Amino acid sequence: MSEPMIDKDRPILETRSLGKRFSIGTRFSAEGRRTVHAVDNVSLTVWRGETVGLVGESGCGKSTLARCLVRLYDITDGKLLFEGDDITTKSLSELRPLRRRLQMVFQDPSASLNPRRRVGDLVAEPLRIHGKLSSREITQRVAELFDLVGLQPDHVMRYPHEFSGGQRQRVGIARAIALNPDLVVLDEPVSALDVSVQAQIVNLLADLQEKLKLTYIFIAHDLSVVRQVSTRIAVMYLGSIVEEGPAEELFATPAHPYSQALISAVPVVETTPSGTRKRIILTGDVPSPLKPPPGCRFHPRCPIAVERCRTERPVLDERKPGRKVACHFPTLS
Amino acid sequence: MILSVRDLKVSFRTHDGMVRAIDGVSFDLGESEILGVVGESGSGKTVSLLAVMGLITDPNAVIEGSIRYKGRELVGLPARELRRLRGNEIAMIFQDPMTALTPVYTIGWQIAEQIRAHRNVSKAKAMERVEELLAEVNFPNPHEAMSRYPHQLSGGMRQRAVIAMALSCNPALLVADEPTTALDVTVQAGILDLVRKLRATHKSAVVFITHDMGVVSELADRVMVMYAGRVVERGSRMELFSDPRHPYTRALLGSIPPLTGDKPRRLLAIPGSPPSLLRLPQGCAFGPRCPAQYEPCATGKPDLRGGTHAAACYRVAQA
Repeated sequence: MSEPMIDKDRPILETRSLGKRFSIGTRFSAEGRRTVHAVDNVSLTVWRGETVGLVGESGCGKSTLARCLVRLYDITDGKLLFEGDDITTKSLSELRPLRRRLQMVFQDPSASLNPRRRVGDLVAEPLRIHGKLSSREITQRVAELFDLVGLQPDHVMRYPHEFSGGQRQRVGIARAIALNPDLVVLDEPVSALDVSVQAQIVNLLADLQEKLKLTYIFIAHDLSVVRQVSTRIAVMYLGSIVEEGPAEELFATPAHPYSQALISAVPVVETTPSGTRKRIILTGDVPSPLKPPPGCRFHPRCPIAVERCRTERPVLDERKPGRKVACHFPTLS
Repeated sequence: MILSVRDLKVSFRTHDGMVRAIDGVSFDLGESEILGVVGESGSGKTVSLLAVMGLITDPNAVIEGSIRYKGRELVGLPARELRRLRGNEIAMIFQDPMTALTPVYTIGWQIAEQIRAHRNVSKAKAMERVEELLAEVNFPNPHEAMSRYPHQLSGGMRQRAVIAMALSCNPALLVADEPTTALDVTVQAGILDLVRKLRATHKSAVVFITHDMGVVSELADRVMVMYAGRVVERGSRMELFSDPRHPYTRALLGSIPPLTGDKPRRLLAIPGSPPSLLRLPQGCAFGPRCPAQYEPCATGKPDLRGGTHAAACYRVAQA
């Protein structure tokens, strides 16, 4: 992947201590009404032209954060800024012009495409809603988009079920880029695809980013895919970012014990007779976000936790240029 | 030899004609050996193992060939006989542990039931054994876990419970179909570790089905790569990963982004998508997507050629 042009003077999206709380249960349920902190105190800056990868185990809040970033969820705490403009509490009608510039691609393309409509129609839909194009211009733009994402021009008349998973995801991407957005949030866009098709989509996303000067926020549970796509990575655990840094650097020298365990757990193809990689196997499960442990939230599973970790919650601090870690004892080389 | 499969063919009668899901699969499995079966969706990796387990009950299915378990022919064996083997000598783990567990009984009850179905032991004895098994699959508090219902456990713990159930009768053969696909990598690492440990303690032979080359490389002794119902390459782990021969295996390995070192500018994607079994191309099924395709590939279906490390490709045979 060629180095995209990253403009470090103009953050496109910024969160300040962003949080999302859900209340669950009713006052009649056994435990009464309770609050889940799905996203807790996330401050993240996304620069124009870069790809920020979000990684973490299921339930760590990465998808919730993604949905907050495009205001699919209402934000309960903190602030969300788009190009310096506070959009935390903007009403739906105020958000409308922004929606064009802020798009999202979902994991399961068969669930996000209406099965009863032709794909050409599905791709034209955002153009009709937002654009001021004539129907001839729309047809032209759809053909252009199909070409851009690698679909045949005669595919416009087909229905979603006539496509393979990879092609369906291409339709989902065409829909997302139809209005020339600035930022695209991709929530597990390749997870449902076969390995051989995954690589096609990863390449397509890289090509589109270069051609259309897009900024991506990329979520996937496959760490090697995230590393490939991202320029910067944020590792999440129980709703908060525990480490942030440039993709290759973070994978080569993870500083937070959780990042270390996560990366070491990825099975890789090895051609040496015996595995040379050291694996850190975490004990126990991710604690319930209903009852997060006190102090550092990772301490019950952390191999190097001490008394201080049990009481004092570490803050996400810049320990080295570009490297932020939320740990009392980070491994910094 | 625990398992010996010869020229296995599985076809299904459909509205659009016969679909051959498995087309001539042969393999052997020795005691306490781990065989990794890799392939994309629709490659036939699951169907071939369902056939081995005698779990293809669709009246429209036609199974041909030979499946020998410890020398005994399984194809055509009455359901009663098969049931005696399944769960006792041959056990299976599936991708989604929730479908293998009933939500209305406790974990302990379910595992004990399995033991009592195959062994003549008292309920109390069976429960004792359950506690041992749960400890073996690393439940932190096995006694307490016995009284838990599946919904009270995390995905990783449920999969451990299913593994405990599979091991309850000391099976000689364990078939695992994508058992870690639904799990997080951190949990997966624990389960893979467990499978490795159990192979050592129980001497079970394991067939591990997955689409993840990394998982196979960490676990398997021997590997079989499948594409469109046929085995395209097989060999030991070392042979296959240090010297992949079939263009499909090579392409599959090339399409995985690396976890360390330099990032490639682009991934080596395979063009197109896996073929539909209803409309398989003439000749080699991988032909239309293959970078090394030439004339013979369009007409003939290449057979597996070679010794322990074999590939089904005319190019490889020619070289």
